[in-house]
Amino acid sequence: MLTLDGATGEGGGQILRSSLALSMVTGQAFRVHSIRAKRSKPGLMRQHLAAVRAAAEVSDAVVAGDEIGSRELVFRPGAVKHGAYRFAIGSAGSATLVLQTVLPALLATAGSSSLVFEGGTHNPMAPPYDFVERAFLPIVRRMGASVSARLVSYGFYPAGGGRVEVNVEGCPRLASLSLLDRGEVRRTQLRALVSQIPGMVGVREVDAFLAEVPWDRSCARPEVVKNSPGPGNALVADVESEHVTEVFTAFGERGVRAEEVASKLAKEVKRYLEAGVPVGEHLADQLLLPMALGEGGAFRTIAPSGHTRTQVEVIRTFLGTKVRMDERSAEECVIEVEGTRR
Amino acid sequence: MSSRPLVVFGLLGTSLDAGKGPARWERWRPTVSLCQHEDLLVSRLVLLAEPRFGELATQIEEDVRHASPDTIVERIAVTWKDAWDFEEVYAGLHDIARAYPWKPEREDYLVHLTTGTHVAQICLFLLTEARYFPGRVIQTSPPRKEGRSGPGAYTIVDLDLSRYDRIASRFSRERHEGQSFLKAGIDTKNASFNRLIERVEEVAKASRAPMLLMGPTGAGKSQLAVRIYELKKARRQIQGEFVPVNCATLRGDAAMATLFGHKKGAYTGAVADRPGLLRKADGGLLFLDEIGELGLDEQAMLLRAIEQKAFYPVGADQEVKSDFLLIAGTNRDLGARAARGDFREDLYARINLWTFRLPALRERPEDIEPNLDYELELASRLLGVNVTMNRAAREAFLEFAVSPRALWSGNFRDLNASVTRMATLAHGGRITKEIVAEEIERLELSWTSGRIHLQNGSSTGGADILAEVLGPEAGAKLDRFDRAQLEEVLRICRASRTLSEAGRTLFAESRKERTTVNDADRLRKYLARFGLDWHTASGRSS
Repeated sequence: MLTLDGATGEGGGQILRSSLALSMVTGQAFRVHSIRAKRSKPGLMRQHLAAVRAAAEVSDAVVAGDEIGSRELVFRPGAVKHGAYRFAIGSAGSATLVLQTVLPALLATAGSSSLVFEGGTHNPMAPPYDFVERAFLPIVRRMGASVSARLVSYGFYPAGGGRVEVNVEGCPRLASLSLLDRGEVRRTQLRALVSQIPGMVGVREVDAFLAEVPWDRSCARPEVVKNSPGPGNALVADVESEHVTEVFTAFGERGVRAEEVASKLAKEVKRYLEAGVPVGEHLADQLLLPMALGEGGAFRTIAPSGHTRTQVEVIRTFLGTKVRMDERSAEECVIEVEGTRR
Repeated sequence: MSSRPLVVFGLLGTSLDAGKGPARWERWRPTVSLCQHEDLLVSRLVLLAEPRFGELATQIEEDVRHASPDTIVERIAVTWKDAWDFEEVYAGLHDIARAYPWKPEREDYLVHLTTGTHVAQICLFLLTEARYFPGRVIQTSPPRKEGRSGPGAYTIVDLDLSRYDRIASRFSRERHEGQSFLKAGIDTKNASFNRLIERVEEVAKASRAPMLLMGPTGAGKSQLAVRIYELKKARRQIQGEFVPVNCATLRGDAAMATLFGHKKGAYTGAVADRPGLLRKADGGLLFLDEIGELGLDEQAMLLRAIEQKAFYPVGADQEVKSDFLLIAGTNRDLGARAARGDFREDLYARINLWTFRLPALRERPEDIEPNLDYELELASRLLGVNVTMNRAAREAFLEFAVSPRALWSGNFRDLNASVTRMATLAHGGRITKEIVAEEIERLELSWTSGRIHLQNGSSTGGADILAEVLGPEAGAKLDRFDRAQLEEVLRICRASRTLSEAGRTLFAESRKERTTVNDADRLRKYLARFGLDWHTASGRSS
């Protein structure tokens, strides 16, 4: 059985989710100790438990230590079963984090699956749905997978109540990925999502963003979300380039001015555009697993984050494959991933 | 930490949980927030709501479902008309707790105390403390910074913890310190008893003279003597020991030696010097219980010891000095015994300076409840669990305890034994109505068999009965022959429900011979000779 120290690297839920994903694909049982040991509320929280339970359901796993506050978890996966699943996740958790946990295993298993996620879809502490839909999944499809996602309703924190439907076809082999150049920026899009709060907030966010990033105003607009049970606000920027689409999001929250939200997002977008790399920080984290499970490949990104380094460690533990990081400058790094299926 | 499903009981907060429109999500709503903590997984929320707030309850259910899909909401209607009416709210919550299908071996329970009227919160607390809600208490609070979102904070308090017991006992200590020291923290209500205690306290503080405590067995003479000792010790009036002696257990040669000590070789078996209990009490307090049982020789020695503060141990030529305070206890009428020559008049005169008559438990019906509480507290300490009685159980017990059916022939000793038995049988410290019913049967049975003992010749308390029924003067004028017979007859009358029952008991042997047909008539005629009828003889008003 593999043993991992949950307090290493970023020391949070990422190491757990990646371990679950790789354990399900490889069939290797693992034990993780010191889960979130250095956090103010250590151990498994509900959102982590949601990922553990979803993984256990999909892979028919035997689990020990799956309790709130538990610092140690033992996970022994069985056979991964494709099929129809429904996961209800509290608003503090996120549908995308659970999708991230179960997707690699369902991609590696012959047969089609239909997944329904209910709960949070737009949560500041997780990749928002827009990113998964327009940045991450298109690249996975490029690697040969057949996976589609549909947002039925938005689920903002704290009310939740969102719904995402994902269809996955088992894909025997994920092809090699090479994303070294971005190419020309072809189209930009800015959406200020507002749910049950004054539309003016969205207008102000768009104006403030455009004041910092001179994008085409015709593709920038506030968008009133109708079918979400609670209030929420997110400012979402898409950058469509020749070889890749990146999606950046900033969340509005109570007590934070619309202009601050816009400024935060503008800063992130400008950093990406100025770095000239195709893959942003969050996308880099997400691509490592599918690449390592497939034929590998390489991409160019900005300086690797703590999440990225944690992913590299977990991949090495489970797959024995190497990930080489060539940091060429403060804002440029080429990551080469050795695939398990060369 | 537990892997058992967590079930939370809480009242719908008609103002704290309220809020319409999207802005409600920006407010801290205790019931919804309770289900949003990342480190608290509420499997089931039992929402107690008044039907007229159904719309709000439905909204809260819906919001909890969205924010926490893992949580199942179960709604229970509460039916009080006035949420500020203590009795109504308590009864309503009590009914819910009684009816709920608790599965404490499979589920963990929390009681959310943040919502509801203050009255409802207090009632929930009390019912949780009394283990009607067999769970811990959860208290929630809003995010620390004004205007911040997030579920805020929560605290779980286990009322069963020893830490809480310490707080509770500190509280009761403080409460009791305000009361008479001699009442041992028992909030007695009987006015004449309270006056008596006040007087004892005054005397104890001011005097070093002997005291005589009279009263039936179990009335608390020993306990009072201990408290007097502690009072005097706390006031630094004495430094020595408390030495209790039950004179009824002293017999023969050994009695003398036990009390006054002996020299080595004073008699066969006296292989070493023995100081004796009077010597042991030097500088302290000697409590001679059942002093009426003391032999005449010992009485003489004791008198000398009290008057001279010195005495001769058995077989000794030299006096031994001992300066002690004396409290004597008796369940007999020492005056009558002295008049008859059974007790030394001079000793009686010496100890009869301060005489206090402790009433029987039956004479203090209003003190049964405070004493019950005291006994419950004692039992809690003894058993290490918080022993409580629910309302129905308490009512049933008290109703019996003050009824004529309850003889309390052993007085506080009976009450103490009774509570100890119930507490021992109580599961988790909760004394139920069923346990009380069983105990009442047990008590009645023990008193019935007590009557048989009485029939076998004990004459305890006889003088009291005669004095009570005939008046002290008429009682004293009776011949000893009549006195003995009448005492026994009256005791049977007291223990019987009807004249016929008393007659059957009294003439049981003749009945076997079938020589008499009307026992009741025979008894009525006997009583009439003393100017008594059934009511005065039995002490039953109807």
